[in-house]
Amino acid sequence: MLKWTSCVRRIWSLSIKEFIHLINDWWMPAFMLFGGVIELLLVGWATSRPITNLPLMVLDRDQSAASRTVVTALENTGTFALKALAPDMETIQDALERGQINAAVIIPPDFDNEVASPIGRPTLAILLNGAESIPATAALRAIEGVASDMGEGVILERLGLEPDDFAGFAPSLRVWFNEALSEALYTTPAELGLMLEFTTLLFAALSFSRERELGTLEQLLVMPFSSMEIIVGKSIPVILVGFFDFVLMLSMVHVAFGVPVRGSLPLLLILALGYLLVELGKGMVISVMSRTQHQAFLVVMMVGMMDFMFTGYAAPVESMPQIVQQVANVIPAYHWLTILRGVLLKGVGLEVLWPNVLALAILGLVIGTFSLRYVRRALN
Amino acid sequence: MSLRHLWAIIRKEIHHIMRDRATFILVLLTPIAMLFLMAYALTVDIEHVPIAILDFDRSTTSRAFVQRITEGKDLDLYALVDTLEKVEALLLRGEIKAALVIAPTFEQDLVALRGMSLQIVIDGTEPESGGFAVEHIGGRAEEFLSEALASYIQTLDVSLDSLQPIDLRVRTLYNPSLKPRVDLIPGLISMVLGFPALSVALTLAHEREHGTLEQVMATPVGRAELLLGKMIPYVIVGLINVIVIPAVARLTFRIPFNGSFPLFFLLSAVFLFALLSMGMILGVFIRTQPAALALSFLVIFFPGFFLTGIFFPIASMPEIMRLESLGLPGTHYAIITRGLFLTGVGLDVLWPYSVMLMGLGIAFTMVGALFFKKKLG
Repeated sequence: MLKWTSCVRRIWSLSIKEFIHLINDWWMPAFMLFGGVIELLLVGWATSRPITNLPLMVLDRDQSAASRTVVTALENTGTFALKALAPDMETIQDALERGQINAAVIIPPDFDNEVASPIGRPTLAILLNGAESIPATAALRAIEGVASDMGEGVILERLGLEPDDFAGFAPSLRVWFNEALSEALYTTPAELGLMLEFTTLLFAALSFSRERELGTLEQLLVMPFSSMEIIVGKSIPVILVGFFDFVLMLSMVHVAFGVPVRGSLPLLLILALGYLLVELGKGMVISVMSRTQHQAFLVVMMVGMMDFMFTGYAAPVESMPQIVQQVANVIPAYHWLTILRGVLLKGVGLEVLWPNVLALAILGLVIGTFSLRYVRRALN
Repeated sequence: MSLRHLWAIIRKEIHHIMRDRATFILVLLTPIAMLFLMAYALTVDIEHVPIAILDFDRSTTSRAFVQRITEGKDLDLYALVDTLEKVEALLLRGEIKAALVIAPTFEQDLVALRGMSLQIVIDGTEPESGGFAVEHIGGRAEEFLSEALASYIQTLDVSLDSLQPIDLRVRTLYNPSLKPRVDLIPGLISMVLGFPALSVALTLAHEREHGTLEQVMATPVGRAELLLGKMIPYVIVGLINVIVIPAVARLTFRIPFNGSFPLFFLLSAVFLFALLSMGMILGVFIRTQPAALALSFLVIFFPGFFLTGIFFPIASMPEIMRLESLGLPGTHYAIITRGLFLTGVGLDVLWPYSVMLMGLGIAFTMVGALFFKKKLG
């Protein structure tokens, strides 16, 4: 009994020492707590904003009522900022080469006639600046929208039909779990899960590498602590700060982007704690492997980025090669993101998520055991 | 400024870098590895999206339509189900990303030209896959519709030509496939070269942690010599990456390089100078390495990702952010790299951005040197 309480006391004093360090050098904990929040705000902002104001040039060779309708329709999409009506092709080519415009629309001289003729085929020529593919794709979608609206009107007129006759021809669409199809609802939970991984890994990875680089690890080792006590004492601040970070980020996305918590919040918090322990294990291994903080940081970035690839956040895992899909199963972050999205957006519980929880538990057990043995051996 | 002093600092720094082999290899490899991991992760082509189909009609037409939709590798038929509850269960478990519901009147409606009685259900938690499925099904539905309409049109005595909507002739310059990967890789170079910049901040913080900065300052080496001497080895590390990246980009992702390589090399050196000066300012203000790491994310990596126009077009940003992006070296460098890799332009087009980079570099170095003096004094 006595032995047990003194062990707790020693761990306690070690944790206190860690917290004193944290307060003295407050940049890292401050970053852990608020860096994620800042990143989330940036991601949420960037993904929820529509692409607007793209510089566009129009060369109107027709100068007719029909061509002016096209120009007005393009302006009304809100996607474009019409730079100028270009006088000739050279101006457009030059502006494209200089990257001053994302797209150009050229209306040929016979546009009006083709629209009016019952068998005419009106043409629009589009030039896109592929050197910036994201705005170029947005520009193309907007122009396609304008053309198909206009084309539909032309066809209806030719066939003498009413617009209502055509209404039922597009399939109806229903979106579940994210009815407004808000990008922020999709990206911010994933980003949150990932930021939690990065900050926890980094924090854990610095714990021993820092002491070793500064030469204080030896001092710690000659003190009357067992290696187990040192590991636990070092882990407590990581888990506490990481968990607090998670709660903070979750409240932030809830308040700022309206991300709902449709499932059970206590379940999510428990699973988050479990996930933190798994990442802690990885971070500790990196920490004792690295001789300097610099090394530890670079390894964390590589490991984190590798996980990012397998999580299905940036691109769906099922579109990746078979081998990558197999690897994804042994990446803790992959299961964690599935759990996070499931509980937040789908409102499901263990009855659906149990395979992921089980996988996470097994991975945690394997990584944890390995980590403990490896770190203890390194410390002894 | 004495070249001999400068050289002494550079040699000392190179000695530090080389002594720690593991770190040296990591510093050299991280930018390239990060570039390719990011490029791959961000640009996987969507295919094999698992869907379920709930066919209430069970007619020849609906079966033909299902056949049409699941052809090719875009959508994979995960299950044919018979109730909406099963669709919901599959969506909840994430086993399918979208579902197509065909109404009992599908065939009748199509024959009578009353419309397409279809409903698509998608999982809004993964809108990329869902949106892709909608686009794919919509496209096939349109084909199906015009085939069904063809006979009706003939009875109306008009030619099919008059039913063509407006013909868009799209030409995409510099990246004909419009694949994001092609312009993302040149854009991301500015981002991954942030790692050498961080290394500079870390080495300065390292000297402070170990108390060796005072020793160096007690020698006749000047401030500017010290700062430049610390930067130059990492500029060299960055330049090694700059040489390797276009070659690897070409071999692995088939990214073209249409501009002048010497110009790319030169402007990359200017960019590294500007970016590393930013890292230097961090190192001057910060006393410990964890702090330098934390700050580098806030100053170098997050803005480098979101505000330099790599992902989100600068034109669409609010005024204040557009101004901020002008102060980031990455903004100008991303324009330069895209211009050289894809557009194939030269200095006649790129000179304003080059001048901006140079100006930013000089300004940052001066700020760094100024505060360095104050901090030590």
